[in-house]
Amino acid sequence: MEPIRIGIDVGGTHTDAVAMRGMDVLGAIKTSTTQPISAGILNAVDQVLIEAALEPASIAAVILGTTQFTNAVIERRQLSKVAAIRAGLPSGRDLPPFTDWPDDLVAAVKGAAIPLPGGVTFDGAPLSKLQDADIDAACTQATHYAAAAVSTVFGPLDSADEQRITAALQSVMPPDRIVGSTSIGSMGLLERENAAILNASLLAFAQEVTAAISSSLQDKAFTCPLFLTQNDGTLMDLETAARFPARTFASGPTNSLRGAALLSGVEDAIVIDIGGTTSDVGVLKDGFARQSRMGVDVGGVRTNFRMPDILAIGLGGGSVVSNDGSSLGPHSVGHKLPLEGRVFGGPTLTATDIAVQDGTLNIGAGPSTDICAPAVVETASNKLHSMLDDAIARMCGRDKKPVLLVGGGAILVTRHLSQAAEVICPPHAGVANAVGASIAQAAGEVDQIVPYRDTDRTEAINTAKAQAADQAVRNGAKEDSVTVLDIEETPFSYTENKATRLRVKAVGDLDFARLAP
Amino acid sequence: MTQTIGPDDVAALCLGSVFLATGGGGDPYVNQLLTEKALRKHGSIQLVMPDALPDDALVVAMGEAGAPMVRMEQLPVGDEPLKALRAYEEATKRTVTHVIPFEIGGGNSVLPLLAAAALGLPVVDGDGMGRALPEAQMMTFPLAGIAPTPALAIDYRDDTVLFNTKDTAAYERQLRALLQVMGGMVLTVEFPMTAADIRAAAVPGTLSLARKLGQLLQSIRGEAEAGLPHIITFFETTLYRGCKQLFAGKVVDFERRTVGGFDVGTAQIDSLNGETARIDIRNEYLAITAGDTPLATVPDLITLIDEESSQPINAERLSFGQRVRVLGIGAPAHFQTDAALEVVGPKALGLPFTYTPIA
Repeated sequence: MEPIRIGIDVGGTHTDAVAMRGMDVLGAIKTSTTQPISAGILNAVDQVLIEAALEPASIAAVILGTTQFTNAVIERRQLSKVAAIRAGLPSGRDLPPFTDWPDDLVAAVKGAAIPLPGGVTFDGAPLSKLQDADIDAACTQATHYAAAAVSTVFGPLDSADEQRITAALQSVMPPDRIVGSTSIGSMGLLERENAAILNASLLAFAQEVTAAISSSLQDKAFTCPLFLTQNDGTLMDLETAARFPARTFASGPTNSLRGAALLSGVEDAIVIDIGGTTSDVGVLKDGFARQSRMGVDVGGVRTNFRMPDILAIGLGGGSVVSNDGSSLGPHSVGHKLPLEGRVFGGPTLTATDIAVQDGTLNIGAGPSTDICAPAVVETASNKLHSMLDDAIARMCGRDKKPVLLVGGGAILVTRHLSQAAEVICPPHAGVANAVGASIAQAAGEVDQIVPYRDTDRTEAINTAKAQAADQAVRNGAKEDSVTVLDIEETPFSYTENKATRLRVKAVGDLDFARLAP
Repeated sequence: MTQTIGPDDVAALCLGSVFLATGGGGDPYVNQLLTEKALRKHGSIQLVMPDALPDDALVVAMGEAGAPMVRMEQLPVGDEPLKALRAYEEATKRTVTHVIPFEIGGGNSVLPLLAAAALGLPVVDGDGMGRALPEAQMMTFPLAGIAPTPALAIDYRDDTVLFNTKDTAAYERQLRALLQVMGGMVLTVEFPMTAADIRAAAVPGTLSLARKLGQLLQSIRGEAEAGLPHIITFFETTLYRGCKQLFAGKVVDFERRTVGGFDVGTAQIDSLNGETARIDIRNEYLAITAGDTPLATVPDLITLIDEESSQPINAERLSFGQRVRVLGIGAPAHFQTDAALEVVGPKALGLPFTYTPIA
């Protein structure tokens, strides 16, 4: 018998949970998110166990996806003050850490910006000399703040100075409050530094959240391992999550895409996740989310996280519809839909009202000509579907693809979408995120600089592949399921030894037999 | 009429420059931040049209040369343009009265403004390309017979090198070689010119034009169907003589690699009615062809704008599935002589096409 796992999605409004055996959904429930989130998680786990008639001891793994940390940054809450240390002077002297951040986020996060000499140039030569006295002074200053983030110029090429500073900080502040930027991002100093600072500012909150989740589930007699899902749809254990909360920033869309793939059995498709206020349109390729080429803004700050290529449009179940039906959104009644929507007796004409009329859906009071005139329904429904068609066309390649509808707002689609090869609304579409979390995979990654002049390229790649696969197995992957997900080469131009940064990522399904209690 | 550039103009100037950079020139983000900061501190700077230059003016061209990737990590200090200009004056025992960008493209359009702001110098409203192109000999200054040196390059350690070469080809070769040992990116002060030189060689009015274009692009942000007619009207009365849509469609294939210090690649775009166009890229968009027929080539400007936002797209930001309009804009007259086309025409950039002006 295949082991059972629980997938949980903690969103801003809802906490969903599913119990899964292989590809089968044994139980699925939707509850409200609580603050702190651990109570809501526990409640969701309780309910899904009852729904599926399962005992805690039969669960092999609990896997959580959450937007808590993204929301904390966006809402500027639960953030601690960070000392941002950057080695590389004189480079960047007039662009210190926190440059071009929104004022309210600076107020919440900025402890001190501490520029130092150090770092290397593009060919690995020292940029300027970092003295021990510089490091000592930076450490003294950093101790006034809850956390520290360390970046150096060309750190991805040579991280020696980052390591020196980090080691010195560890003797004056808790090691779990220090972030070296090369552990969180790649080339692009400002973006990598920004990501490290955001991560550092979330450490206290992340430690609190992960500790609360861990202890409350242990109280419930769960002995199985707990994981969080990362931006790329792979797993990290709670200990790693406590150190790298920023790695969850994009896990919401990633899980919804992966969940849609599992629920529909379709691996190449456009996925539309329709919520209350927005629809996220993403692309599934071979069962994984297509990644964006560019870094993305998080809370108004430039970062270089690779995240799913998502087009968000202002259309959701709560989108407000103009009187003549010609425009929908971006304004939304959001979670007040059950009070505001006309089918629920409220005053506001929403996208849900249009869908109920157009699709004769049995929601609220059901269809009624009292809600709005048929001509308005016709206009608004045409507009709604053309907004989605435009978004599909923008994300799609040359050929039309199947469109998978997930999320609570999937009911909005009452007609054919002309840009879709077919429209599929899989069962359990409302909890696709939790399903996506439950199938997150174990990953292994190798990231190194290889001089291609001295090392054969094919050999270097094969070695890195094998190392990444070993790492994935050590992280819990089933050996025969491991595949190489991504190979990325960044040549350093002009270097004489043809130095190239080589990153290889391997993933595999969790080996529950090894994890089982 | 005297024009000035203040801190609130910098974003528009950079946006207009990205349009004129035809896909190249890199992300102006860092230089935009620095320039806004400098103009807030020192106040607005004066723009002078070539015709209004005093006869005894000494103008130098400025800009950054090197691998854009270096700038992703090794940020500028912030005062390199000022230090470079001072070092140049000291080394040449001459007093610079005006500065001019060597190209309108990415962050290089605003770099001379950093020095000008700190020293209170006016900036010549113009540049040496009217667009962005990859090498020094492709500037309008050498095409008009002006010598590039004495020229000075400053690196991240404030170390400087003074050049005295017989021609621009030698200058370009020496500069490229020195980049290896000067941190991969330098700021140059080059092409010392008189007022007469500038009037003969510079592409005039491109800084104020880039600002105006940027303001227009900001104001028409939204669908290209509505925005494009405004862009076309804008170019009718410029030295570019006109702008037209060459192709519209979706990016269905995109391939790029770094070769010899350049980003080289192709993009394939399919239209809604099944036609296909191919764009050749070497830092900049160099040519667009449908089948075997070139629709436009260098030195005409080929710029891609985003269907949803009408905003120009840098080659490194082009992405799969993006819906785009491909626009062709006429090359400045400086580039349309036979002699100039030998240096900036399609064959000079390795493309098997003959240049046919689009406007």
